[in-house]
Amino acid sequence: MPVEHAIRATGLTKRYGDFTAVDGIDFTVNRGESFGLLGPNGAGKSTTMRMIAAVASRSAGTMSVAGLDPEKNGPEVRARLGVIPQQDNLDEELSVRENIIMYGRYFGLPRRWLSAKTEELLEFAQLTHKATSRVEDLSGGMKRRLTIARALVNEPEILLLDEPTTGLDPQARHILWDRLFRLRESGTTLVLTTHHMDEAEQLCERLIVVDEGRIMAEGSPAGLIRDHSTREVLELRFGMDRNQEQAQQLTTLLGSPGPASSNDPVSSNGSATAGRDVGFSHVEVLPDRLLVYAGSAESALEQIHAAGLRPMTSLVRRSSLEDVFLRLTGRTLVD
Amino acid sequence: MSTDPLTADPALKGPASPAADKQAMAGRARRFGALHQAERTLRSMRAYGTVIIFSSVSQPIMYILAMGLGLGVLVGEGGDFAEYGASSYLMYIAPAILASTVAMAAGIEFTFPVMEGFKWRRLYYGAQASPLSPGQIASGHILAVSVRFGIHAAVFTVVLYLFGAISSPLGVLMIVSAMLGGLAIGLPIMAYVSTLRDEKGQMSLIQRFVIMPLFLFSGTFYPLTNLPGFLQVLGWFSPIWHANELGRLLAFGQPTPAWLIVVHVLYLLGITVTAWLVTVRIFTRRLGLEEWRGRTPGAKADARRQDRLAVKDASDVARSAAAETAPASRGELPRISFRRGFGANYYSGNIRAVFGRGLTAIRNNRGVIFLSGLLEPVLFLTSFGLGISPMIAGVDAEQVGLSGGGTISYAAFIAPALLAVSAMNGAIFDSTWNVFFKLKITKLYRTMMSTSLGPVDVAVGEICLALFRGGLYALGFLGVLLVGGLVDPLAAVLMWFTALFVALGFASVGMAVTSFMTRFQQMDWMMMVLMPMFLFSATLFPISVYPVGVQAFIQALPLWHAVELMRDIAFWDFSGLTLVHIGYYLVMIVAGLALTTYRMKKLFLR
Ligand SMILES: Nc1ncnc2c1ncn2[C@@H]1O[C@H](COP(=O)(O)OP(=O)(O)OP(=O)(O)O)[C@@H](O)[C@H]1O
Ligand SMILES: [Mg+2]
Repeated sequence: MPVEHAIRATGLTKRYGDFTAVDGIDFTVNRGESFGLLGPNGAGKSTTMRMIAAVASRSAGTMSVAGLDPEKNGPEVRARLGVIPQQDNLDEELSVRENIIMYGRYFGLPRRWLSAKTEELLEFAQLTHKATSRVEDLSGGMKRRLTIARALVNEPEILLLDEPTTGLDPQARHILWDRLFRLRESGTTLVLTTHHMDEAEQLCERLIVVDEGRIMAEGSPAGLIRDHSTREVLELRFGMDRNQEQAQQLTTLLGSPGPASSNDPVSSNGSATAGRDVGFSHVEVLPDRLLVYAGSAESALEQIHAAGLRPMTSLVRRSSLEDVFLRLTGRTLVD
Repeated sequence: MSTDPLTADPALKGPASPAADKQAMAGRARRFGALHQAERTLRSMRAYGTVIIFSSVSQPIMYILAMGLGLGVLVGEGGDFAEYGASSYLMYIAPAILASTVAMAAGIEFTFPVMEGFKWRRLYYGAQASPLSPGQIASGHILAVSVRFGIHAAVFTVVLYLFGAISSPLGVLMIVSAMLGGLAIGLPIMAYVSTLRDEKGQMSLIQRFVIMPLFLFSGTFYPLTNLPGFLQVLGWFSPIWHANELGRLLAFGQPTPAWLIVVHVLYLLGITVTAWLVTVRIFTRRLGLEEWRGRTPGAKADARRQDRLAVKDASDVARSAAAETAPASRGELPRISFRRGFGANYYSGNIRAVFGRGLTAIRNNRGVIFLSGLLEPVLFLTSFGLGISPMIAGVDAEQVGLSGGGTISYAAFIAPALLAVSAMNGAIFDSTWNVFFKLKITKLYRTMMSTSLGPVDVAVGEICLALFRGGLYALGFLGVLLVGGLVDPLAAVLMWFTALFVALGFASVGMAVTSFMTRFQQMDWMMMVLMPMFLFSATLFPISVYPVGVQAFIQALPLWHAVELMRDIAFWDFSGLTLVHIGYYLVMIVAGLALTTYRMKKLFLR
């Protein structure tokens, strides 16, 4: 019986002693979908991945992967998975080629078939010229590519990628993205975690943002931006020490229409009733800069200039997933 | 060593500016740097201080009970040590055992920590950033290790006195001769290790090809003259022999010509000083301005291996081209097969892949490391068989529980036992140390567990691999025994199977034990259990020398059963007890495997 969803988790929980790494999360990944897990360091992404991959036990909750419980049918579930762990764990005692072949052997694949498949994967990972090298002689990025290639040896239905592009150069990254697109087209389900928001926007149809083991938001990248951020962002730099105090001032300036307009003698432009027009939402303080969230960043900048504030640099841009991420998981200092 | 003018001038020494203080600091470091480094090393040793103290106390007791008293009973019947100045066998070997244990410690302290300093944790590069000179870093390590030797030797000597194994107060000086011996064997090794850029099994090669042979052929358990001439030469070169002889001179005044005393002292001092200087030089090369990165051992072998693979590759490609099988025509993904039904979550029916991976890894490693495992029983047999035999008329068959009466040669007596010991050692090493290493360090099992393999596949595959290796070693040793006429062919065949059987018992229990291990230090403790088991389990002398209570205890241990079983086969003398031995191992295998299976998740899914 074909199952609609590739992965379904309910109340998924993982405890390490007293510490709860994953705290009762629910999610569903549909077949052929590419699904992202975002969250700050220590949010529980890798732990979740490991529970999907049937290499970590659950403390509570249910999980079904391809219609099977990974804890009860470990080998069968894993036979359908391709796993790219966060840390490369290549076999240092084997050569590059042997790493792929042996990995295929673990799935019980015949040697004949594997020898052709391995060449193909080496080609994909651009490691053909290194095929006989020892793994320890590879560079960090090459190791990553080998780990990725190795995970594809069993032509998995579901591919779990834990920060797949960490350590890859831009070129290799784009090659991988392209390859992942093609895999998705051929029906492979992708589940990935990443700290690169551009990657998540590129690759994920749907994603969840987790923090401290809980789901903070769920949706498509565009939907999340719509729901959790303004249309535009104004990035300002005032210099290291002044960011904090300027944030207060900006909030007062843009946030409340009253004092902003009354304190604004130069405001000859009558339509500049701040707040509503600017579509101001909040200010985010980063160590090196301030992010002003507003529907129209241009008008916000005009107002700021009008108020006599002189940021060292300013940049107007569209909201991105990164802003959603900061909003949901960052400690917002000024709201 | 010129005095720094800045620090020598008291006017500039005051706390006026912190910079002046730094100068003073640097000056101090320049003069006492080696001591600072020594202190640092000693502090890090404290982590396993209990192990050091425990082994310093337990080793002498163990050797006194086993060799001094146990083997002493056998030797005492035929040997006479009065001509050497000792009143008993125990007294004769005591100084040598002290020197040997220090040498063993040298084999550890001058290898792993040095490699750690240069490569694994790069501690020396940290020290290099301080005002220490590279030479001081080297000397600091040497001083710290000397202190550790001193503590060990002092504790050891006290225990020997308590057991009456030393009579002369001069015996205290043994501490010095033993330390000197330790440095003379350890410093050349340190010099060698400090040239290495990378560790590819050299540490275990040093243990097996240097420390072990020197220990066995340095006249520790018998006068060197008992050995045939060519082996005596080995002893003359061994610092351990010189340290042994000096120790004997000091402990009970072994009659020694004056010139020989001078030779002993000069030889040990000469090696120590030369090697110390060389080590300092190498440290200066590596940590100084030159920043030499060290030799890559086995680089040539590696290149050769790659060439070989590349050639094989080319021929593979040529063959597939000839068959006109372009990679694209590999066809659909074949069905990934796994078992269903009972236990499918644990066992997917693919042990072969795990075993195959192990074979490939062995093939990729350097063959000499693999073969070195074969060497140990052969060395033991040569050393004890040739060295002890002249002191023993033969072992009374009845005394060792064999029917038929008569006496058997000492070599024939220990040979089956050594086979059992080697089966045990190999199996334990593979199932505990190796498994733990792949679990914690290389994380191999994590990789395997992300495929369709189940934990049982991995466990059984690893056990099979241990048996394969053990089987090869046993085959080699039995070959030596056959050539030496110590067993007959039929018995040899049976003994080979028995070696596998015994290895299986230890491997399955070892794996179960590993599932409870969390830290490497626990491995040390386990090794400390194995050593006495080897010494007491009727391997080198019959247990009838002990009181009944002790005998019963030994008979409860697994190695005794293995040794007795091997002997029953070797001397073709079966009884009801033979069945008991077999039964003991059956229980071990079943219980070990059951516990391993039960702990499976803990074992591979951490
Ligand atoms: N084996 C373990 N024992 C104890 N705690 C653990 C273990 N593995 C993970 N944790 C804890 O669980 C939490 C979640 O870890 P996890 O690796 O899932 O984070 P992550 O979201 O992948 O973070 P990152 O982005 O840094 O990779 C962390 O606080 C971590 O310390
Ligand atoms: Mg992670």
